[in-house]
Formats: sequence, C-alpha cells, structure tokens
Amino acid sequence: MNLKKYLVRALHRLQKGPGYTYKELLVWYCDNTNTHGPKRIIKEGPKKKLIWFFLTLLFASLVFWQWGILINTYLSYNVTSSLSIGFKTMKFPAVTVCNANPFKYSEVKPLLKELDRLIEAALERILQPTPGNGSEDVSPPLDLQLWNQIPLVLIDEHDKDNPIILDIFETNQTTGENETAASNQMDMDVDKGTAGDDQNFTAVNATTAPPPPANTTTEEKKYKLAVKLCSHQGSNNCTYRNFTSAAQAVTEWYILQFTSILSKVPLHDRIRMGYQAEDMILACLYGAEPCNYKNFTQIYHPDHGNCYIFNWGMDEEALNSSNPGAEFGLKLILDISQQDYIPYLSSAAGARLMLHQQKSFPFLKDQGIYAMAGTETSIGVLVDELERMGYPYSDCTMNGSDVPVKNLYSQYNTSYSIQACLRSCFQSHMAEICGCGHYMFPLPDGVNYCNNEDNPGWAYCYSSLRSSIKQRQICIDSCKETCNDTQYKMTISMADWPSEASEDWIFHILSYERDMSTNVTLDRNGIIKLNIYFQEYNYRTISESAATTIVWLLSSLGGQFGFWMGGSVLCLIEFGEIIIDSLWITIIHVIGWCKGLKQKRPRVRYPDVPPTVSELVEAHTNLGFQHEAMDALPRDEALPPEPGTPPPNYDSLRVQPLDVLSLDSNVE
Amino acid sequence: AGTAPGKKITARLKRTLPVRGPQAPTLSELMRWYCLNTNTHGCRRIVVSRGRLRRLLWILLTLSAVGLILWQCAELLMNYYSASVSVTVQFQKLPFPAVTICNINPYKYSAMKEYLSELDKETKKALETFYGFSEGKSKVRRSVEEWNRTGSDFFQQIPLLKVEDLSRTATDLNSGQKRKIEGSVFHKDSSIVNAGDSNDIIGFQLCDANNSSECALYTFSSGVNAIQEWYKLHYMNIMAQIPLETKEKLSYSADDLLLTCFFDGLSCDKRHFTRFHHPLHGNCYTFNSGQNGTVLSTSTGGSEYGLQVVLYIDEEDYNPFLVTSTGAKIIVHDQDEYPFIEDIGTEIETAAATSIGMHFTRSRKLSKPYSDCTETGADIPVENLYNKSYSLQICLHSCFQKAMVDSCGCAQYAQPLPAGAEYCNYKKNPNWMYCYYKLHEKFVKEQLGCQQICKDACSFKEWALTTSIAQWPSTASEDWMLRVLSWDKGQKLNKKLNKTDLANLMVFYKDLNERFISENPANTLVILLSNFGGQLGLWMSCSVVCVIEIVEVFFIDSLSIVMRRQWQRAKKWWNNRQGAGPGKPTQPGDVERQGHDNPACIDEDLPTFNTALRLPLPQDSPLPRTPPPNYSTLRLESAFTEQLPDTLELSQH
Repeated sequence: MNLKKYLVRALHRLQKGPGYTYKELLVWYCDNTNTHGPKRIIKEGPKKKLIWFFLTLLFASLVFWQWGILINTYLSYNVTSSLSIGFKTMKFPAVTVCNANPFKYSEVKPLLKELDRLIEAALERILQPTPGNGSEDVSPPLDLQLWNQIPLVLIDEHDKDNPIILDIFETNQTTGENETAASNQMDMDVDKGTAGDDQNFTAVNATTAPPPPANTTTEEKKYKLAVKLCSHQGSNNCTYRNFTSAAQAVTEWYILQFTSILSKVPLHDRIRMGYQAEDMILACLYGAEPCNYKNFTQIYHPDHGNCYIFNWGMDEEALNSSNPGAEFGLKLILDISQQDYIPYLSSAAGARLMLHQQKSFPFLKDQGIYAMAGTETSIGVLVDELERMGYPYSDCTMNGSDVPVKNLYSQYNTSYSIQACLRSCFQSHMAEICGCGHYMFPLPDGVNYCNNEDNPGWAYCYSSLRSSIKQRQICIDSCKETCNDTQYKMTISMADWPSEASEDWIFHILSYERDMSTNVTLDRNGIIKLNIYFQEYNYRTISESAATTIVWLLSSLGGQFGFWMGGSVLCLIEFGEIIIDSLWITIIHVIGWCKGLKQKRPRVRYPDVPPTVSELVEAHTNLGFQHEAMDALPRDEALPPEPGTPPPNYDSLRVQPLDVLSLDSNVE
Repeated sequence: AGTAPGKKITARLKRTLPVRGPQAPTLSELMRWYCLNTNTHGCRRIVVSRGRLRRLLWILLTLSAVGLILWQCAELLMNYYSASVSVTVQFQKLPFPAVTICNINPYKYSAMKEYLSELDKETKKALETFYGFSEGKSKVRRSVEEWNRTGSDFFQQIPLLKVEDLSRTATDLNSGQKRKIEGSVFHKDSSIVNAGDSNDIIGFQLCDANNSSECALYTFSSGVNAIQEWYKLHYMNIMAQIPLETKEKLSYSADDLLLTCFFDGLSCDKRHFTRFHHPLHGNCYTFNSGQNGTVLSTSTGGSEYGLQVVLYIDEEDYNPFLVTSTGAKIIVHDQDEYPFIEDIGTEIETAAATSIGMHFTRSRKLSKPYSDCTETGADIPVENLYNKSYSLQICLHSCFQKAMVDSCGCAQYAQPLPAGAEYCNYKKNPNWMYCYYKLHEKFVKEQLGCQQICKDACSFKEWALTTSIAQWPSTASEDWMLRVLSWDKGQKLNKKLNKTDLANLMVFYKDLNERFISENPANTLVILLSNFGGQLGLWMSCSVVCVIEIVEVFFIDSLSIVMRRQWQRAKKWWNNRQGAGPGKPTQPGDVERQGHDNPACIDEDLPTFNTALRLPLPQDSPLPRTPPPNYSTLRLESAFTEQLPDTLELSQH
C-alpha cells in the first residue's frame, strides 16, 4: 500500500515537470536546458528553426566525435619528456677495474700445462703442413685425452666439393662424406654469398681482361681450421665449427678447454690465482683524499678474474662528487703485469674498466672499456639518466620482480638489470637442456658447472644453444628493461704515461711501494694511469610524465562540449533526466494502453470527463490551473488571472485508469 | 471608435513585445534584444543592471572578458605548431649497422709508381730546394738534373712559390727568379698563425688560364701543409684520368685488408663485405651493406657478439706525401646511408685492439609546418648524385658538384659524377683548379646558396660510439698470434707479419636498447578546440552557438536594419523629389513610421506574438475530450496587464 502510494507520488512529481507527451517534454527541455543549441530551435521562426536544428545536430555529432578522439588519446597513455642538463652534486659512479687477463699465468700454469703443450704441438703441425717433419722431438708423449674430447681439425679444401678432414694428431684421413651436419648457419649464408659474389666476378671479368685479385687468393687458401664438436665422445652426431681464420679457431678452442678445466677449480682457488688488489692497484686518489686498495670491493668475475669496485655502495654510503674536473675525480695507477698473461686466452692487453651504478653488477663484456698500458687515460663522465613511467605508459620494470626469469645475479646482492636477466635466462636454458651451467654465468640451485669429464657433450650443446636464434628470442621476449636507465657517457682521451723524463723515478717509487725492493719491478707494458671525473655538465636527465591525465581528459571534454554547445556535466544530467522522463511517459502510455483494454467498461460508465489526477493535484497547488472543458467550471470565473507561466497540459493522465483506481483506493 | 482601440492595442502590443532579430526597428533595439536573449553571460547583466555605475562595471567586466578570451585564444593559436619530444626506449633485437672499413692509404704505392713517379720526383726536388732535405743525396741530385733537362709540367701549371711577405715578391722554384705577385693572396691557414714577420711563407699560385693576369696565391704558414695540398691537387689530377676499374685494381683487395672476421660468435669472410670505391680512400669494404637483401641483426649485446676483424695495414706500401698517418678508418652507418669516410670516419690504430661500443638512437623530427626539414629530399631542388638516401651532407656535396660543373665545366674528383659530366683534369680543363678554389671559397662563405637550399633530414639514425684501445697482441700472445695470422694469410705473403701492420677492431652493441627520440605535435586540432572551448566557457560561458549568434545579430541583422533604413531614406528622398515636382506634401507619419510603425513590421500573423508566449502553437488534440491548451494565460502576462489596462476595460465592456 505504502509502496503504491510512494510510486504514485513519485509519478506526480515527475509529471509536474516536463509534461505528459513527448512533444511537451521536448519543448520543455529545449526551452529550459542550459545547452545552447536547443533553445534556438524552438525560439526562432520556421526557416531558422530548421537551420538551428541541423546546426545543433551537427554540433552534437562533432562533440561526440571529438570526445571519441580525446578518450582514445587518453587511453594510448602518451608521455611527455622533459630534459634537464646541468651540474649538480651527484653520486660518483661505481668504478670497476679488472685485468683483461683473468689469472696470473704463473699461478695457473700447473692446470694448463697439458693444454698448452697440446696447442703448441698442434700449431707446430698446422704451420708446417708436411706431416712428420721434425716434430718427433716432443720429449714427453702428449696426453691426448683433452684433445680427443674437443679436437681441432684441419679441413683441406683443395677440392671444394669433397673436402678432406685431417685430424692433426692422427694420420688417418677421413673424407668429408660423413660430415653431415658440417656447416653451421653462418656458413650457409656464406655459401649463398658466394654465389652472388661469383656472379659479380663474372660481370667484372666481362668488362676487364685480367681476373680480379680476389679469385687467386681463394685458390691459395687451401686449409681451414675447425673445431669438432660431438654430442658425446665417439658419436657420429658431430658438427664442425668452421673458422676462416686459424687464430680465431685456436682462441675459441682454447677458451672451451680452459672453461672446462677451470670449472672444476673451487672459487677460493680461482680468487687466489687472480690478481690481488695490492698488486694491481698501486695508487689511488679521490679528489684530495688518498685512498688505497682497501677502499675497493673485491668481486670475482668469470671473464676477468678478480675485479675491484670502487664506491660500490654496498656497505657504506656512496661518495658524492660536487666539483667537475680531473682534480676532483678518481685517479688510479694500476699494474696489469703483462708478462704474466695467459698467452692463448686473451690477446688484448690492458685494464678493463667500467662505470656503473651503485649496487649493480658490472657486465664488463658489454659496457666495459679498455685502458691501454703505458698510457694515461682520462675519462670525463656525463650521467645520462632516463626516468620512465612504468605500466601502462611503457613496458618496463621497476625492480625486476615482475620478470618471469629468476635473477641469478641476486646472489651478488645486486639490483636487476637487463643484462643480468638475459644471462640468467641463458644459464637456466643451459641447465635445462645441457644439464650443467656455463662457467661464465652464476649457477642456478642444484646445478654444477660443465666440464669435459662429467658432461662430455657440453661444448656441442653450448655451441648449438648459443647460436640458436630461437633461444635468444625467448630471452629477449621474457626480459624487460628497467624503467630508470642510467648510462655513463664517457669522453675518453689518452696520452703517453709516464713521460720519458719522469719514467725512472715513477717506476722506482711505485716498485718500492709495492714490493719493498729497490729494483724496478714495473715497466711500460704494465702500468696504467686512469683519471675519472665529472664533466662540466655532469647530468642529462630525461624524465617522463604522463601527457594525458584524468584532469586533462575532463578539461578537454569540457572544453569540447563548451566550445560547440556551451554545455557542461549538468547539461548531461538534464539530458539524462529527460530520457528518464520520456521512459516514464512510455511506461505510462503502455500501462494505459493495457489497462485501457481491460477497463473499457468501467470507463464507459463514466458519464462525464473524469477529473484527472493532475487536475486534482494542481487545483490545490497551482491557482493558475484551470480546466477548460466545455462545461466550464464556475470557479473558473471566480479565479483571478494569475501571473506566472502556464502549467503544462497534463491531459495524458486521463487515459490511465490505473492511476484513477489507485487514487480511489487511496482516498478510501 | 470600435476599430480604433483595436489598432491601438496591436500597436501597443508591438511596442511592448520583445522584438527579435531583423524585425527590430533600430540597432539599439536589436542590441537590447540580443543582450537579453543571448546565451553569453555578461551581456544580459549589462541590460538588466540598474544604476549607471553597476552597468558601467558590467560593461567593463564583459569587455575585459572578451579581451581575455581573444588574448588567450591567440596564445593558443600561436602555440599550436609547437612540438613536444618523447623518448622511448625499446629493448629488442637490433639491426646491425653497416660498417665501412678503409685503409687510410688509398692505393698501393708500389702499384701507383708508374702514375706517380714524375710527381714524386718533383715533390722531392721541391723539398730539397726549399728545405735542403733529401733522402739519398746522390739519387735526388741525379733526378734533379734529369728533371731540369726535361722541364716540368707540374710546376708550370701550379708553381710552388716561396713568398717574401712584405714585398709581395716570390721566388719561383722552377726558375729561381723572383717575380711580383699579382692578384689576391689567400691564406689557407688561420690568419692569426700567419704572422707577418715569418719571411719564408710557402704557397702556390693558381691562375686563370684564359686570363693570366687573374691569379690567386695560396699561402700556408707551414710547408707541410703547403706541400701536401699541392701534392693533393696534382694527385687528384692524375687520378681523374685513370678509369675506375684500373683504380679498383690498384687499391687493396678484400683479402689484402681483412685477415680475420668474426660476427655474432660465428666466422665470416670477405663475402660478407661489399666493395665500395671511395675516390679519396680507394677500396673500402662495407660489412653488412644489405646489398644481397638481408641485414644482419644482433640479439645479444657485448663484445663477443659483435663484429671482430683483424685488418692488415701494409705500412710499407704507403704513399709518403699523400697520407702521413697509419691505420684504418671506419665508419658506422645505416645501410642506405652514404659513408662519408673523409668527414666523419674514426681512425683505428695499428698494433692495438680498438673496441667500439655502440649505442643506438633513432630520432625523428616533425616536418613542415613544425620545423624545416625534409622527409625524403624529394622537395629539395638539388639532384642527389649519390645513390643513397638523402642526408644534408649528400645535398651539400651534390650542390657543390653541380655548381662546379656549371661554372668550371667539369666535376670535382672527390664527389660522384653528375650525368654528362666528367672529372677535371689539366688536359681538358687547364683552368679547373683556379676555378675550383674560387668556387670552394664561395661555398665556404655560403655564397653559393647551397646551405640555404639544403635542409636536414627529418629522421636519422645515430650510433653513439665509445671507443677504447688496448694493446694487441699482448706481449705474451704476440708470438703465436703473428705466426698463426701469417699462416692465415697464406703463401702469398712471404714475410712474417709485423704487429704494426695489424689492427684489431671490435664493433659491438653495448646494449640492445633502442632509444627513439621523436617529436610529436604538442597540440592536435581537437585539443586546440577544447582549449578554445575552455577559454570561452570560463570567461563568458560562450560556445560556437554564441559565435553564430553574434554573427547573426551583429552582421546579418544589423546589416538588414541599416539597409532597411537606407532604403527608406532613399524612398523618402525619392518621394520628396516626386513631391517637389507635383507639390505633394510630405506625409506627417513618416518619421514615426521608421520606428515601431514601420511597414516591415506590420504583419498580419504577428509571429512575435506566439513566441512571446513561450508556448507552442495549439494543435487540435486527437482526443476530443482532451481540453485544449490553456490560452487564457495570455492574460497572465504581468507586464501586459499592467501596461494595458484599457484592454481589460474593453473586455469587460
């Protein structure tokens, strides 16, 4: 009962406003809305009405179209970048210095003795192609076990179609027929290139009489060195990694053997075999403050042995630098003692150094630079920072926690970086497929480093994994770059150091300080001076901010609506109200129509026009309301003419017996 | 009397009813109507306000709001063509750039002997006469004598002179006689260095062959520069006469230059390199030139995965006068970019490993109207002589070459040939050097207009290089390394390699982050309109509708009112003339008619009436029992009832 009452009241309240028909509603809306167009439609003459009608339609569609564009723009999450350049007090970068050579040769010699003898004997045979030519005088017999695990072979290419594979230490020759998997991908490319090249050559031949010099040299080059990699020893599933240059082949082969040997050596022994801080870092000066090797943090780097990091910020606060110029930077004197290099492992001599952020792992192979022995290298640093917004603006990661690859470098307590992710990804693939970890990367839990004894096919497995494009793509896809990317732009310049005049006393003092001896133990080939300092402008920061915020969106939407139609959110609410009203009218009409069928008879019984609800209601509230029926009520005369707007014509209620009924029940 | 009040009523009605648009009798009425009915805020206040001060205040406020709108919108318009910069970093597989490697020495000296022996002899002779320098005394003396007998082409064409600065006399190398210098003197070196007191400035004279009095003397503060420059002129002359095929043979072959090659962990060889003949650097080799349609890419950063080559630099076969430094030059560039080795190459030292870490940046500028750059170079009126994509440098070089062909009749040696032209040489164009120097002077001083015509390209790729050097091979590995490399080189090379003949080069990506810097329009039309709308709405609650209203009222309606008045005035004047003729008196009501009683306003159906009621016209309702709309409210118009008491009286009667 109460609900019905309430509904009826609500109905009345609604009906009081806009009116009982759609037309009235629309006219009322147009007249009273705050939107600019509609008012014109009803207020103008017939011709202008039409013009205004189309104008309003046009503007409304324009508004909606542009709103679409704006919302689209917002959802594309654009960013604007701001750039700032200048000098400010900044954290001095962490400086990692390593020797290009990982271990002292004198220390690792016992481990590498067999290997070195092998390679020397092999080179002897290779460089003198006629076999059995005075190489008998190798006094102790060679232990061919290492060799047989990963042999180097010589490919005789006199006959291009039928290459002969020569094992260096064995006399039996095998023809290349069983060389089923003999070419790797690069070689395929090369072969394709040959075809194209040959065509080129013939073209050249046609124009000029003498054959091009390139042709003659290819014929001269008959032998090729290759590394034979088998899935396990003695199996036929082998590939030959071809090398155009014997130097490359020897180095690659040596590295494979070397990692296999070293992987069995425990970490503390490897650290012991590397260069010690006190031997390597001879002098250190930061700004005006002296420092020494104790200020460096030792880290074992698989590529470069012992590396030393200045200002890593792991235990203590990072140092700040508040002045530009070499006087206020870091000055180092290093000794790389070149005579103690492993001859076959690394052919480049110098210090490897890298500038990086505090608490990040130094990936020297990627970002490191060389410093040459016998020179002074000055490095001016500009910190190039890029601060990006995370999701949804760009696809980057803040700390790597949302990357599906387990960061193996977290055991060094270092922060996430894309290089760490890629390497971890590779290593986990390696552990999965080959069953062991590669020596150059940290180990996942429960996996050991690969070596020839335990994993005879590891080199084959590693080599195929390394050249697999698919594996790399998986890693690229699963790793994300960090949002805050800091790079150190370096301006590198070099000069000879020490000068001839100062050479004597400098070597003397440094030797005395290091070895407490009066003999000169240093020379030009080992000594390096480094100056690392901030440039005059030491930072360039590019920071992103959202180009489109919700405030921007709202003001743009409002601007559009306002520009075309002078509207606001209230106008939208007005419009919504009208829609609700028209719905009500529809409902009333429908109900009325339904009831009209049912209540035909009761309605017929009414002799006269029944009073409408509105009439009854309005009669009390609005004095201006008059019922102008044919039989005009006498009170109509009595009422004085009232100022004010005329009430809308609520005649539609008359066809609603439902309401009449309900009103009746109410009265009762 | 019955009809008179009716007319009176309608007249009054008209007077009091709000007038609209063109029906307004006067401009002020129109304005009043506009102010009352416009959607713009402010105007209504002016009319509605009571009191002069308040009205004035509202006028001021409205005007200042209009002013603010205009100012702000002008600002918005001016900022419309501004660009904002966005930087995106993407980690991905990167295409490896093309790497072009050249030996600094263009041609094998031993092979060039037959072409250059004359010139070299004369250069040595010049060195001896000016500086008393000779390598092997007896040999040179003999050659000098020989040379004296034969006479010299080179010195006749471009004499080397020792200049006594103040007296402007020069000693000719050829005859030893002094002569007066005519024409202008150009100092090729900086004028600050070229102090007046040094009395042995060396230089050479270039004369216009057609008009020998027109000469220019180029002097240098140092003989090193003078000799080199002079040698280069003659060298270019000689080289211009040698056909390209021969030159390619004279230069280094891929096998000569490249000892080892390693890319992305795999071996590569000379077939991965494309030969490219550079006029000044001889044969250069481009790795990954993309000519066979495939461009190699890197999916791992770091030195192991880049390009590693060992170059063989045959130092003994260097031309002593042309190049004075040893090593190789490399340039990292895009596949469809022309390598300007002489301009932006990086030098590689011998007996060292040069490691070059790259960082890739791609930039994109907005072209017109945001900035003055060109997308493809198609809109630049300079023909691209290089068979590569447009760049500013290509445009400048092409422009210069074109000017050279136009004014000197032949093309300069260091740049490609335009169609139908050939390289300059003495035999055909004895005048070219003078012409070239004059033209080059103009070019540098921006008088040729090349710098104005050429625009920079809108998008470009850049590889920032970090170069560092290590000793290579290390003392420990030197021995085996050189032996193995010699073996690699094969039997063709009979000597053992020397480490100063070798250079190791590593080119790799430091990281696979591609930095993409792009300019975006800071404003789109949508945003501009939004901002306009915001401004209009903020100050005056105005919209385009208001603007149309303003146009309607202030232009169309006002114009129609003015026209109507003009028309009436003309009519009146005509009537007056007519009246002056037949002596017809002017109608007394004419003046009033201009106001509310003007004939245009008298309308039988009175459209203003209905609208004044703000109700739609009544329509016959379909239901017969529906009461018609309540028109009695017409009486309710308060102003109406107040102002027209007589109508009530009338109805009562």
